[in-house]
Amino acid sequence: MLTFDHAGPGTVAVKGRFDAAQAAAAQAFLDGVQGTVTLDCSGLEYISSAGLGVLLKTQKRLLASGGKLRLSRVSQHLRDIFSYSGFDQLFEIEPAQ
Amino acid sequence: MTACRLFERTFDSLPAIVAFTADAFTSERIDPSLRTLVDLAIEELFTNMVKYSTGSKADVRIEITGIDRGVEVTLIDYDVDRFDVTARPEVDVNLPIEQRRPGGLGLHLIRRLMDSIQYEYAESSRQSRITFRKTAASNAADQNKGG
Repeated sequence: MLTFDHAGPGTVAVKGRFDAAQAAAAQAFLDGVQGTVTLDCSGLEYISSAGLGVLLKTQKRLLASGGKLRLSRVSQHLRDIFSYSGFDQLFEIEPAQ
Repeated sequence: MTACRLFERTFDSLPAIVAFTADAFTSERIDPSLRTLVDLAIEELFTNMVKYSTGSKADVRIEITGIDRGVEVTLIDYDVDRFDVTARPEVDVNLPIEQRRPGGLGLHLIRRLMDSIQYEYAESSRQSRITFRKTAASNAADQNKGG
């Protein structure tokens, strides 16, 4: 199960497991965001390469139009996955407190 | 003891696979701190089978065995051509975003996060077997590196 909820201006909260079964619905949601968007990952339990692919595609689209996707409140486990994937060079990542 | 089960060849099997893995970790008394990374490796390998072995209608078998301070997992794909995922080229995760493509990241993560991964193919039965291992020792080393 994966959910996206608007959590204030320019912020989207993602919760659940971002796996291959959720990737198409997630891409459909993120295709609708514009500008600079902060993705609050405090409720994100898990991400696989399918989810990473969705984030990468979204980041490319937003950067092309002058915006970007920022990742906030990211757990240590997810930071490791982002780091091993080289995503720490492609996204602003704010760790969880 | 080994926990094993067959799963339909569809992404929709992923929740059932996660539930099976959770049960296997309990029954096999496997260190729960390894579970998220094992979930990741199983998903990456299973979805590769779904995406690339499209000629087969057979279910995929997953076996989970507790080993000393860790876990060994085998995925068996029936009635398929040889497709050695472990021989796929490494992705360059340092490329600038314009040159980045999502493909290959799953196997990259498995290589990075698991202790070992092995591919076997039986021509006579057209059967692919992928086995990987993860132990608590390597998990602790990864966490220290991740800091």
